[in-house]
This record gives sequence, structure tokens and C-alpha cells, in this order.
Amino acid sequence: MKRIQKDRDEMAFSEIFDFFAPKINAYFIQNRIKIESSEELTQEVLSTVWVKSNLYDSNKSALSTWIFTIARNKKVDFFRKNSKINFQEEDIREFLYQDREVDPIEENEAKKQIERINNELDEQQKIMIKMNFFENKSHKKIADELEIPLGTVKSRLRHILTKMQEFLR
Amino acid sequence: MNGTLVKNQLIFDFASGILGPAKSIFTSTYLQLNSNASKASNTFENMLGENLMDNENIHPKNLKYTDCIHNENIQSASNPKDPVISFFGNLNNLDWKQIYKGFKEYTASIDDKDELKLIKMDPGVSVPLHSHGGKEYILVLEGSFCDEFGEYSKGDIQINDQKIKHTPIASKDTGCVCLSITEKDVIFFGKYGSFLNLFTFIKSFFKQK
Repeated sequence: MKRIQKDRDEMAFSEIFDFFAPKINAYFIQNRIKIESSEELTQEVLSTVWVKSNLYDSNKSALSTWIFTIARNKKVDFFRKNSKINFQEEDIREFLYQDREVDPIEENEAKKQIERINNELDEQQKIMIKMNFFENKSHKKIADELEIPLGTVKSRLRHILTKMQEFLR
Repeated sequence: MNGTLVKNQLIFDFASGILGPAKSIFTSTYLQLNSNASKASNTFENMLGENLMDNENIHPKNLKYTDCIHNENIQSASNPKDPVISFFGNLNNLDWKQIYKGFKEYTASIDDKDELKLIKMDPGVSVPLHSHGGKEYILVLEGSFCDEFGEYSKGDIQINDQKIKHTPIASKDTGCVCLSITEKDVIFFGKYGSFLNLFTFIKSFFKQK
């Protein structure tokens, strides 16, 4: 990323592209966006990474987190545009990222915290977090895909939320 | 009601990208003013970032990295602004509506089912005992207020629902300015209660028109 920020290194960008483009594209498709639009949005995300590379600060977040938030924001804007809601928050998002105060020691702690959370969640809980928050699937869809009753999905998600509260305290 | 759970739910939903405009502005402001909330949100976004790292690959068919470098639709120019200023501008210049003496409101015109409002209370002013028809979220922007449940100052959120009856009083020294989200109208009790209920009833009547 430094090579992109300092030298506008296109080869360095192509490596980021190769790694992230298929994952971002998959993220949009998982969020029920059709393939024509998903590729367009993937292009927008990675163009943003290239054009706004100077906004990225490795002390503030991992690269994957920064790219995730860009993709998520494109998704929000896409759905709003489709439901004719005219509402822009790009200025606010950039403000929040720049305003964020993190010292590097804390950033390490954040990594440890993620590891700890991952250790304490079992495989199915991790899958359910991904389906619920990353793919934004309905409880019904999660129940169908995991082949468990809807009530069980709800109670397990409630349990996960309670657990997450303790982690985030 | 478990207030912490509802607060974290805002953070989770914000990170997942499923909030409507009103709650999104509200949560952005919360993250800006409250460092604990901001930390929790970072942690959760890191988790979702990990999900992206480990995500399956669906290769785009018609996209090359050069298409992303030469994309004129993305502007580098940005003008970062704090959420409240970006949305409301200077609060002193707003057309505040006085609800009763010492209590003013400004309702945002926003394209959403949730209502986003600014509330300004002069020092020492109180709100008559009331409960809430739907969920109400209050975030303190300036000053502080207290009620039967505790004191709330800058960056604190209070979440109220049907079960809660309370009498908030603005700080005697500073008064308070709050941002609020209401999902349904408030029900008042006590001395001025019936009058205020009538007022909200009439207000909702005009809204329908």
C-alpha cells in the first residue's frame, strides 16, 4: 500500500486488485446484488482504493478493514439509490475515519482482541456472524442454508450477540 | 430493556451497512462523540474485514486492474465534515420550533421512516413525565441532562421504550442539546400531559395530510 501511496506504483495496485477483486465481487453477490452491478461496484471500490489511497492510515486500520468499509459504503449507496433515497454521507464517512484516534499500541491490542474473539467462537458461530452481518442474510435464509429451525437461528444469534457484548466491552 | 444491547445493535447495524439515513447520521455522531463506541465499532469492523480477507473468490469477468486506475467517476476531492455540521449546518442558524418555554425542537427533513430531531433545553428546564409509543434514542451533543435513571452527558445515549416513564431535567449550568431518533410519537402523563398528548395527536393528524 505504501508503494501506491508514495510512488503511485501500478504493479503494487495490481497485486491488491488480484487478491481483493474476487472477494469484493463475492461480497456484493452474497448481498444479493446482481452480477452486472456487482462488477461495477467492485470497480468503484478498487478505483476508490487507488484514487483515495492517501486517506488510508495503517495505524488506524488493517487494509482489509479499510477496503471492507469502502465496499460496505458502496453497498449502502447502491441500495439507497435503488430505493430512490437521495442521501449522501461520503463527507461524514471520511471525517469519521480521519477523526479516529488510535495509537499503534492499541492497534496491536485490537489484533489480539480479534484473535481472542475468534478463539472463543466455534465454527458455526463464526459462520452465523458472517451470514448475519457480512452477507446480511435474513434469519429465514440462514435457517434454510444451515438446515436448522428458524427458532434455533434466532436463539443462537441472540446468544452470539450477548457474547459479542462481552468482547466489545 | 437492555440499553447496552440496543446501543451495540446500532454499532453492528452501522458496520454491516443496513441502517437507514436517520439512524446512520445518529450513529455516526455517536461514534464521533463516544470513544468507547468508536472502539467497539473498530473491533467489529475488523472482524468483518477478516471475513472479507477469508471470503470466497468470485472472479469478475470483465474487469482488469487498469479499469480501476482509469476510472473518471471517482473523485479525489472530498470535504470531510462532522456528521451534525454536515447535515444541519450551524445549529444557531436553524429555524428552531418552541414546543414550550425553554424547550425547542428542530425536525430534520430526511427521507426515512425514522424521525431525526434536534432538541434544545434551556438550563434547568424539565420535560413532564412521559412514556414512549415506540423506541426513542437520545444522544447528548452538548451539556447534560438527568432523569430517574441517571445523568447523561456529551456522547451518552439514552434509549427509551414503552416501559419507561421518566422526567428528564436539563443541567442547571449548561442546559443541553440532543440528537434524537423517534420511531413513534411520545405519550405524556401528569399536569400538562393531556395537553401535550393532544398536541402530538394534532401534529400527527397534520403529518398524515
